[in-house]
Amino acid sequence: MSEPRAEYLPEAIREKLIHDPRVAEQDLRVQVQEHRVMLDGNVASPQLKQRITEVAKELLPDYEVVNETTVVSAAEPESEESVS
Amino acid sequence: MIRIAAVGDLHYGAGSKEILRPSLQHLRDRADLLLLAGDLTRCGGPEEVAVLAEELRGLPIPVVAVLGNHDYHADRQDEVRRVLEDARVRVLEGEAAAIDIDGVRVGIAGTKGFGGGFRGAHGSDFGEPEMKAFVGHTKMLSDKLERALTGLDADLRIALLHYSPIEATLEGERLEIYPFLGSYLLAEAVDNAGADLVLHGHAHHGAEKGRTPAGIPVRNVAQPAIRHAYNIYTLDAGRRVLPAAAGGIS
Repeated sequence: MSEPRAEYLPEAIREKLIHDPRVAEQDLRVQVQEHRVMLDGNVASPQLKQRITEVAKELLPDYEVVNETTVVSAAEPESEESVS
Repeated sequence: MIRIAAVGDLHYGAGSKEILRPSLQHLRDRADLLLLAGDLTRCGGPEEVAVLAEELRGLPIPVVAVLGNHDYHADRQDEVRRVLEDARVRVLEGEAAAIDIDGVRVGIAGTKGFGGGFRGAHGSDFGEPEMKAFVGHTKMLSDKLERALTGLDADLRIALLHYSPIEATLEGERLEIYPFLGSYLLAEAVDNAGADLVLHGHAHHGAEKGRTPAGIPVRNVAQPAIRHAYNIYTLDAGRRVLPAAAGGIS
């Protein structure tokens, strides 16, 4: 299979990140501008955010990786909701 | 009053240790039951769910779960289920469980569910075998959900799903992927059987609140959507929801 054309590169990166067991995250948005890859979405932990950056750099060593993903809070809820 | 803590899409893996545990410490004081709405793992590995099982082991309230699509990825879903069950988590797939809490019988019917889309834009089991298999899977699971809910003898009935039964809790997701996020067949099953509450996950960018076409409350508890370790819902056991009236097609 040939290398993806530039027009298809963001989706190719997204697929690689989904299928890499170190990431396996379907919740990422990928944009590519010039030699910069921008990642956005929600992640469960700071460790996962760091791993995503590392794997993206491995995949695209010639690109700058800008990881703007958000680490989601796992704090207790302040209140409860009555649904009766 | 029954207090239900619920969350989905925890996506546990080797690096997830202790993410949830601090928030579970006060759970006994805040909830009577913990429900997990699938996608408990990242890639469906038993070793991944073992990290979560260790945090759930010994919780002083009952825990009931369904699996999600990620939990099937390694094709080791039976092992994932066994790891959870070893930690005293009840796992449902087309099945129901009833739990007595302070004299109130709480029934939970659970399924992963599947996709297909929503009213006016749902796939049909027509054409290629792959398309028949896709929609047929949703139909089979929806039928099992309806039977499991109908068979529950309980004061309160809850449907626990991974995929969404309605569009309202998907708002925020891209419209193009709705058919991969849920199916109206799940809502129809719940409306036919009757329930007090429907919980689902899967929609990380979705909204929290909605209702089935017959008016049953639906809550999306995907952890990235609720942005807490879990949400808590209280239900009044004195109110009994009956199956919705039959529609126009006989």
